Amino acid sequence: MTCAELEILLADYVDGTLHAGERAALESHLEACPACKQLADEVQGVTAFLERVPEAEPPAELLTRIMHHAPLGRKGAAAEAPPVYAKPSWAKRAWSGMWGGFVQGWLQPRYVMGMAMTILSFSMLARFAHIEPRQLRASDLDPVKVWQGIDDHSHRVYDRAMKYYDNLRLVIEIQSRLREWTDQDPSQAGAPGQATRANGAAAQPAASERGSQR
Amino acid sequence: MATVAIPAAKWSWQSPYPQVRTSTSLDADLELVERCLSGQEAAWEDLVRVHTRRVYSICYRFTNSDSEAQDLTQEVFLRVFKNLKSFRAGEGLFIVWLTRLARNLLIDHYRRTRLDRATESIEDHVATLEESTASIARTEGMVAGREASELLQAALQKLSPELRETVILRDLEELEYREIAQVLNVPEGTVKSRLNRGRSELAKALRRQKIRI
Repeated sequence: MTCAELEILLADYVDGTLHAGERAALESHLEACPACKQLADEVQGVTAFLERVPEAEPPAELLTRIMHHAPLGRKGAAAEAPPVYAKPSWAKRAWSGMWGGFVQGWLQPRYVMGMAMTILSFSMLARFAHIEPRQLRASDLDPVKVWQGIDDHSHRVYDRAMKYYDNLRLVIEIQSRLREWTDQDPSQAGAPGQATRANGAAAQPAASERGSQR
Repeated sequence: MATVAIPAAKWSWQSPYPQVRTSTSLDADLELVERCLSGQEAAWEDLVRVHTRRVYSICYRFTNSDSEAQDLTQEVFLRVFKNLKSFRAGEGLFIVWLTRLARNLLIDHYRRTRLDRATESIEDHVATLEESTASIARTEGMVAGREASELLQAALQKLSPELRETVILRDLEELEYREIAQVLNVPEGTVKSRLNRGRSELAKALRRQKIRI
């Protein structure tokens, strides 16, 4: 038996499935060939070691995870299978084409939201510029007229805001208090300053007295 | 002093994945596939339950990463769901078909992540050196259980993908040579040759970790 022949039979030898004649020939070669003996020892040693290794246990949640994603895979399988149904009529196809291609495209939430915001901002602008959409005429859209409308409206709003501000009770009270302070006698208003200066003058002799005592 | 009797636990943890690989399970596979294809919802879960252990084990042994093995197992079953019809069209064992699917995914994944591994190899080398100096204590005595599993994982990563997959399929998943040849699409003689070389290299890698073979 050659080394190449031994290599082919070695796996069966390790498994114990070799015929008696082949096994005897193989074992006699092993006694004569150190390289093959080493190979056979390594192979037998590893198989014995691998028998002591426990099986890898998958985590229990893996089953749940796989089944959670399972519909995705099966949906894919369904999509690949050719659908079996009757061919729809041209009217149905035209309607579904228009509905699917045009109307459904515009009914997406982002488009609807965008259109609603546009209408809202235009209506606010028109209200501010005193443009009534119901009786809108071509002359109303004249830039000069639009500008005048905005200017007039802004002045009115300003005047109204000022009037409201002036009529506030808090503002009136603050203004009346300020007026009282400004109407006070200037000699009384200066009294606190004079008192401070008088106190300072009185404090100086006291300090000089403490210095003389030392 | 009164003693309080602690009731024994009424439940014990049971794996949701049954042990399979009997002669009857092969027929059961075909029946299960038929049930899936006929649209029975429960059959899909049974199919996953029965085969998750094998697919996960192959992926985990090959990649040496639990998270990658989980992702790949999920991907394998997604492909099973999509392509189960193609299995019925071809004749053969479901287990071979499934293993081939997993193996092809693993090889794709191996090629895709080759660059990442190249950058990690230096860190691995340093770790291996540290391990070889620190593991003198376990040269005597038989390693088994979890420690053996971890040592095997480290040693398997030293093998080329061709040798690694052959050793995994034969020695850990216990497939027949004929089945491995079908999965890898190579002759049986090549399977045996790869197996010898794979086992020999694995023995050398384990010896480097001070494991007596």
